[in-house]
Amino acid sequence: MKRLFSLIMAGIVGLMVWSGAALAVEGGYSKQKVVYHVNGDDPKQQTGALRNIQNHINAVGKENLDLRVVMHGHGVSLVLLPEALGKVKGFRHANADQQMQARIDGLKDQGVQFKVCNNTLVGRKTTVDDLYMVDQADIVPSGVAELAHLQSQGFTYIKP
Amino acid sequence: MSFNDDLELNAYIDGELTSDRQAELLEAMRTDPDFARQACELSRLKAQLSLAYATPPRARWRNAAKVRPSWQQIAASIALVAFGLIGGWLLHAGIPAWSFGESRFVVLDPGGRGQAAAVAAENETRIVFHLTSPDQTTAGEMLEEVEAMLAAYQAEGRPLRVEVVSHGEGLNLLRERLSRHKARIHQLATRFSGLTFVACSNTIKRLAVEHGVEVKLIPDAEIIDSGINHVVKRQREGWSYIRV
Repeated sequence: MKRLFSLIMAGIVGLMVWSGAALAVEGGYSKQKVVYHVNGDDPKQQTGALRNIQNHINAVGKENLDLRVVMHGHGVSLVLLPEALGKVKGFRHANADQQMQARIDGLKDQGVQFKVCNNTLVGRKTTVDDLYMVDQADIVPSGVAELAHLQSQGFTYIKP
Repeated sequence: MSFNDDLELNAYIDGELTSDRQAELLEAMRTDPDFARQACELSRLKAQLSLAYATPPRARWRNAAKVRPSWQQIAASIALVAFGLIGGWLLHAGIPAWSFGESRFVVLDPGGRGQAAAVAAENETRIVFHLTSPDQTTAGEMLEEVEAMLAAYQAEGRPLRVEVVSHGEGLNLLRERLSRHKARIHQLATRFSGLTFVACSNTIKRLAVEHGVEVKLIPDAEIIDSGINHVVKRQREGWSYIRV
């Protein structure tokens, strides 16, 4: 009986060693798909969100991340150029000053994609020329639909 | 009071807080979905860790060392270890494949309204909006987005279900006295059968107990037990989640 018990223990230990090893391989973290939702226009909160993203990349590694930022409504102010504020409609802030531009550049260099809602652009009479480094490929028909779509594709949703 | 202190949350997870403080934390979890999620994530992590590092009993091995093992024992050990390895691998590799890979979901009740959720149509998009902001302008912007989306899907003949869960301060949207969008909500709920507004009953009870407020909801609101439970359940069922 004792022998049988020790044999069973050996099996269990084997199982544990293996699952321990599996955890260790995944190591830091395995690959992640994440979408960050930005719809507020508070520059402090947006800066905080970009800092969250940088910390996220630091923890997981840019090679392990497919990270998108989806902006709609007031959130588009993140990439709105200050000089465009007088021209466009409905925005209270234009936060893409030089500092914010540098942060955005830094994240883009690490593979982060910034997506802008077309409904917002149309509704607020805003064009890509009013935005910092946004081209047609970065525009999605609807921010909300994009968030839903990405989640259905396995992206994890984070609202900073 | 603030519970942003990670140390304190960890102490709670480890059961090291006084019962008073525990009660306060539980209350905070009930009202703050982010905090509740954080606590949930931590306790899950703790459970995973204790599972991964559970120590096998050692005393047995000291005794076993005195006895010379027979070849049958050795063979059986190897077989068991191999079994463990293969079993572990299958378990490890298999779970994600069958629990998360499918895009069809069996959901709970077939009425299709409120707490309902029929078996989802093959290509139906389902979104739960979790409204926690008291601001009626924010809520109005959400309604605009919801309307635009429902209209677009309807025009294209694609099925879309939207549920607005108002919870905590977000309950204002569905309160007779505080909502600035009663008519709009009624018009939307009438126009789109796939749209539902639900109110968190925990919030309603809390307002009654803590502030003596008797909440009267607008007629288009339905009541669910817990806003948090509900959005968690929806996400398990495969709904997309958007926090407002």
